[in-house]
Amino acid sequence: MNERDEFYVGYGKAIPPGMARVIRVTLVILLSLAAVVALIAISGQRKLGASYFEFGLPREFQGIIREFPYPFLEIERPGEHGGLPGFSRYVLVGEGKHGAEPNVAGLDGRTVTLKGTLIYRENQTMIEVTSGSVVLKESIPPRPETEKVEELGTVTLRGEIVDSKCHLGVMNPGSGKVHRGCAVRCISGGAPPIFYTRDATGVSRYLYLISPEGRAVNRDVLDVVAEPLEITGRVTRIGTTFFLAAEPRSYRHLAP
Amino acid sequence: MSEHYVAVGWNRQKKLYDSATLAGIALYLAAFIGVGTFVQPFATAETLIIRGLGTCALALLHVILCIGPLCRLDRRFLPLLYNRRHLGVTMFFLAFGHGAFAIIQFHALGDVNPLVSVLVGETRFGSITNFPFQPLGLAALVILLLMAATSHDFWLANLTAPVWKRLHMAVYVAYALLIGHVSLGFLQGEATTVTTGLLALGMVAVFGLHIIAGLRESVPDRPLDRPLNDTGFVDVGALAEIRESCAKTVTLAGERVAVFRHGDQAFAMSNVCQHQNGPLGEGRIIDGCVTCPWHGYQYRLEDGASPPPFTEAVPTFETTVRDGRVFVNPKPRPSARRA
Repeated sequence: MNERDEFYVGYGKAIPPGMARVIRVTLVILLSLAAVVALIAISGQRKLGASYFEFGLPREFQGIIREFPYPFLEIERPGEHGGLPGFSRYVLVGEGKHGAEPNVAGLDGRTVTLKGTLIYRENQTMIEVTSGSVVLKESIPPRPETEKVEELGTVTLRGEIVDSKCHLGVMNPGSGKVHRGCAVRCISGGAPPIFYTRDATGVSRYLYLISPEGRAVNRDVLDVVAEPLEITGRVTRIGTTFFLAAEPRSYRHLAP
Repeated sequence: MSEHYVAVGWNRQKKLYDSATLAGIALYLAAFIGVGTFVQPFATAETLIIRGLGTCALALLHVILCIGPLCRLDRRFLPLLYNRRHLGVTMFFLAFGHGAFAIIQFHALGDVNPLVSVLVGETRFGSITNFPFQPLGLAALVILLLMAATSHDFWLANLTAPVWKRLHMAVYVAYALLIGHVSLGFLQGEATTVTTGLLALGMVAVFGLHIIAGLRESVPDRPLDRPLNDTGFVDVGALAEIRESCAKTVTLAGERVAVFRHGDQAFAMSNVCQHQNGPLGEGRIIDGCVTCPWHGYQYRLEDGASPPPFTEAVPTFETTVRDGRVFVNPKPRPSARRA
């Protein structure tokens, strides 16, 4: 019987020899393609930057809560700091896609201990606060101000709004269009929105977005998250943290 | 063929087929995630799993879509078609894994229901570059779910082959949605020329094979242009043109008819198998029955009924051989389908 006369019935005993030869070769090609396509698909992706989430390794912290515009924990640096900020500032978020506001409400200026998990990328560090772990140190009086607000002038910057929690390390990638849906959910849930920008030399800048009046802008930026934007606003610094104050309606879309 | 329904009517070929499928998937995921941990050291495990499952499902969908036209072009690929439904269901599970992981990762633990978040989280429907890509993936997943859920012969018999076939043609809608999902999502932000080229290559293979197979198929679709003889029968050609136990396919009164040769006799029946509308004209006569090349469904030559205990039947046409030429009555006989 030549190959032209061969006929295959699936419930029969075996594939006719001519067809079997073709199927064997096809199978080898398909299995090879599976490996090759997988290698191309994983190698041909944008390289992801370094970021960390110490998942499963909660630590204990003690510091002063700054509730506004976004929750921060200030931890005093021991010893001399030679003119550098005397406090390390850690932005706080809640578990899941939530901000830390419920964890620290009413504790502005108060010293607390809390448990949390570190999230960090470049020079930015965040703590995911473990629910129910914040304990007020009632014996320590409130400290309304530790660092001065430093005005750095008005600037125009180009970049992208990212949700601080994912971008700083919980997810990687935590920026761009593939992550937009998640970023919208996180910012909507209370994670502070960061304007992430890179200068001509590739140095990253992280600026927490606030309104001209200094309030959180989470609800006002949801429609423009993860898009190329140009923002003109007033830059301020508190300790090691930069803020960009601008009216969200003035953000300008850029061509991708 | 089976006279009653079971979850899977296993046989040796299906076991071999599924083993090869699982081996290919394991190879793909091992290569993607294994190599990914080295070339993307800062990618989270969730990212590698989501992307591994998604790209594996998409690659498998390309294979599935190529099998049909490949079999039209060369019948030696028919063993790939035999168990293609298992391939489709497997692809759905990969896509479901991708979608479930992505929905949990990107939308769970937030301030709205995760599925609602997929649909309303992004709102820039008026922009091409910012068009939300995740609802496209979700829509494709719903179609693939419908197809996987109705893939069993129970649904095929109860929906009837034409309805089932139309439903399962929605795979092309799912494919278009998935190309949109990938192009407007991953390719915009994370891909390089290499991965974009890889997808383009896959699309060229799918479209190219369909176009070539379609062009070849269009030839026998031309209606038979021969005068009716005095009895109203149509001369469909010489019996000697038809190989023993095989058929030639002709179009009579707008319907494709398979004309089989069995010794010195000719038999004609609808070209459309009742199971999945496979081309009976490309089948063979085995044990006195026309046997479909796709899944081996059988029909008796004399009345088009499946041998007992099976109940399928296809229309047959009165046939006569005169002076070495085959004449077929274009009006079908009443169906021999049993209750």
